Amino acid sequence: MPRITPARTDAFDPMPSHYVEPLPSQYDSLAGLLDREGCVQVASELLTATDPAHLQPVAAFWLNIDRFKQINDSLGHQAGDAVLAELAHRLALASGNQGHLARMGGDEFVLLVSDCSRAAAEHIARDLLAAMSQPLDIGTMRLYPSVSIGIALATPQDNARELLERADQTLVQAKRLGGAQYLFAGEDMQRGRLGKLLAREELEVEEALHKALENGGLSLHYQPILQVADGGLEAVEALMRCHCEGSVFPPSRFIPVAEKTGLIIRLGEWSLLTGARFVSRLAADGRRLKVAINVSRAQLTAPKFTQTLYAALACSNAPAELIELEITESLFMDSSDIVQRNIRAALEAGFPLAIDDFGTGYSCLASLKDLPAKKLKLDRAFITDLAHNPRSFAIAKAIVHLALDLGMNVVAEGVETAEQYEILSGMGATAIQGFYLARPMSDRQLDEWLAAREP
Amino acid sequence: MSAAQNDPVLPEQLDNQLEATLKEIGIPPRPAILEEISREMRNPDPDFNRVAQLISRDVSLAASFLKTANSPFYGYRHKARSVRDALIMLGLKVAARTVAGVILRHTLPSGPNMERFWDASDRTAQLSAWLVQKLGEQPDVHSDDAYTYGLFRDCGIPIMLRKFPNYPAILAEANRDPERPFTEVEEAYLPTNHALVGCLLAQSWWLPEATCLAIRHQHDFVLMRTGLQSLPSASRRLIALAQLAEWLLQRLTGLSATREWDKMGPACLAQLGLQEADLPALLEAAKAFLAEAYSED
Repeated sequence: MPRITPARTDAFDPMPSHYVEPLPSQYDSLAGLLDREGCVQVASELLTATDPAHLQPVAAFWLNIDRFKQINDSLGHQAGDAVLAELAHRLALASGNQGHLARMGGDEFVLLVSDCSRAAAEHIARDLLAAMSQPLDIGTMRLYPSVSIGIALATPQDNARELLERADQTLVQAKRLGGAQYLFAGEDMQRGRLGKLLAREELEVEEALHKALENGGLSLHYQPILQVADGGLEAVEALMRCHCEGSVFPPSRFIPVAEKTGLIIRLGEWSLLTGARFVSRLAADGRRLKVAINVSRAQLTAPKFTQTLYAALACSNAPAELIELEITESLFMDSSDIVQRNIRAALEAGFPLAIDDFGTGYSCLASLKDLPAKKLKLDRAFITDLAHNPRSFAIAKAIVHLALDLGMNVVAEGVETAEQYEILSGMGATAIQGFYLARPMSDRQLDEWLAAREP
Repeated sequence: MSAAQNDPVLPEQLDNQLEATLKEIGIPPRPAILEEISREMRNPDPDFNRVAQLISRDVSLAASFLKTANSPFYGYRHKARSVRDALIMLGLKVAARTVAGVILRHTLPSGPNMERFWDASDRTAQLSAWLVQKLGEQPDVHSDDAYTYGLFRDCGIPIMLRKFPNYPAILAEANRDPERPFTEVEEAYLPTNHALVGCLLAQSWWLPEATCLAIRHQHDFVLMRTGLQSLPSASRRLIALAQLAEWLLQRLTGLSATREWDKMGPACLAQLGLQEADLPALLEAAKAFLAEAYSED
């Protein structure tokens, strides 16, 4: 019969109190953890011992190490085993005596916790993510590991296998969203994109990002956006660059890695403040120029997003109306409370909003009328074959006209040829951004570019 | 729209509000000298002489840098006699943070009572670094980390003072509040708080992630009490060290008592593996350390 310890009374302890000691024989001798069979058995016992009238449900956390195969493939199995052992050790430390830990084989682990509310499960998941993502030195290489977690909370009807299966399926979804995150079963609302980078390269980019954040290796480049009507400067878009040991990484290489590892929040906050300071600096020189800054999903779903916006204003003294926040279409359409609340708060703080990459998400044109943005940026995917693909032409034209009729400005991104420029200006696009008009440039280069335009 | 409306280069287009904010500029972007040191650090083959020259260009900076490098809390047996000595002794990374700490004070807006604020920050920082030595180094927190954190921890306050005229009263209320987290009191009146502002500033000065997070969560006693891993252990340790240092300083000087220790003290002691009973001896030792560290002043 499992022994049950008394509930802890510490008001600040969100951890569940119901701790059942498993039998030693069920442990995987190598890692000192339950094996697959032991896991199912303990899950059954916990489910039986849970009285839904008095206790919170049993939670199953299914964990998998992100990119473990890549670590194995690129650094060798010995390194892979060392990583596995270290992460299993951390997992044991981080989960403490909060539950039962099992190794389901390979790099898959399960943590079972009874009497676990959704909020408690979220705390535990965050804890686990943080503990597992501490850097790890393998030989001369510093790895920044991460895990994905699928979480299932038992329903009264669940048996052990159903509960574990749901956690496993949810893990697969968490992976599909890009990894380095937890997901509750039945709460998959987002679609991420999978990193397309090669194993070794991805680890290197991640290391470069960490170094850049401590050595000042990030910079913003600014790409002018010009009005079609008179060639006037509508705004500049801030684009991040990452320099490390002589190499320059473009955003297409490091942003997906930053999104996977959670570094995207710090990168986003850094660009917000740096862009805001640039606005102030230009203003001090007598130039009133709007800077457009990208906001990521991670930022918009994080607590304190609004306070961070105001903190950037306080640090930079930039007026909010000169900092345009570019938010992707799919994020605008996100129905979750926190996203919509944060978008409203940004608007109330005076930041102009732009819908970025329009046309790539699951666009519902009807909902365009409800979005609080004054500007729509047509995705470059339509621009590339505009001149040769009548379908792209038709879609681009329809979007431009609809947005104009709704009173929005339309910016076409990625314009590289005179032909594209002519077509888009003919359609009525308000402003154009792309290599055809101006490349992204450093702040100093932009100073010169601006000076050269002055009469 | 007409050309005149779009043209960004006409000063007369600046509205009054913007003109007003322009006068206040002086909030610190990262000083150029730190950019230069960073550039050397990114170089696979950094040139210490060049960095030494950069620091030595500013005599008061060089003097403060040397003094800090020779502080007892670093615990070096040898004394650096030149900026270059100090660079070799500390290494570029630590040196960059030490320089950042020295410059910070002169870069942030000053105002009435700011001298006292900075003196307290400096003493807290020194005591934090000393505590690291006293309690034993941990792999994730060294003396210089604790020193830098102590200096930067409250760097949001001068910015808030500059930005929000009613901030002194809010600060006083937050200091007195026995229950709510400090930042919650700030947010009851203002759209942001000094911990977030400080974190953004620290990020833009390229301080390490653990330090930035410790600045951001310095008043989050719930996070400290629960010991949740969502805050890295290095950050929690930094928060605990500086909080204990602040308490020691307040007990020794009797100045500007806050309620932070009531809210955070037990969690900080637990984080550092200390008991209430250890405090009297620590107070005595801290008194002796401060007397030594400030003997020249």
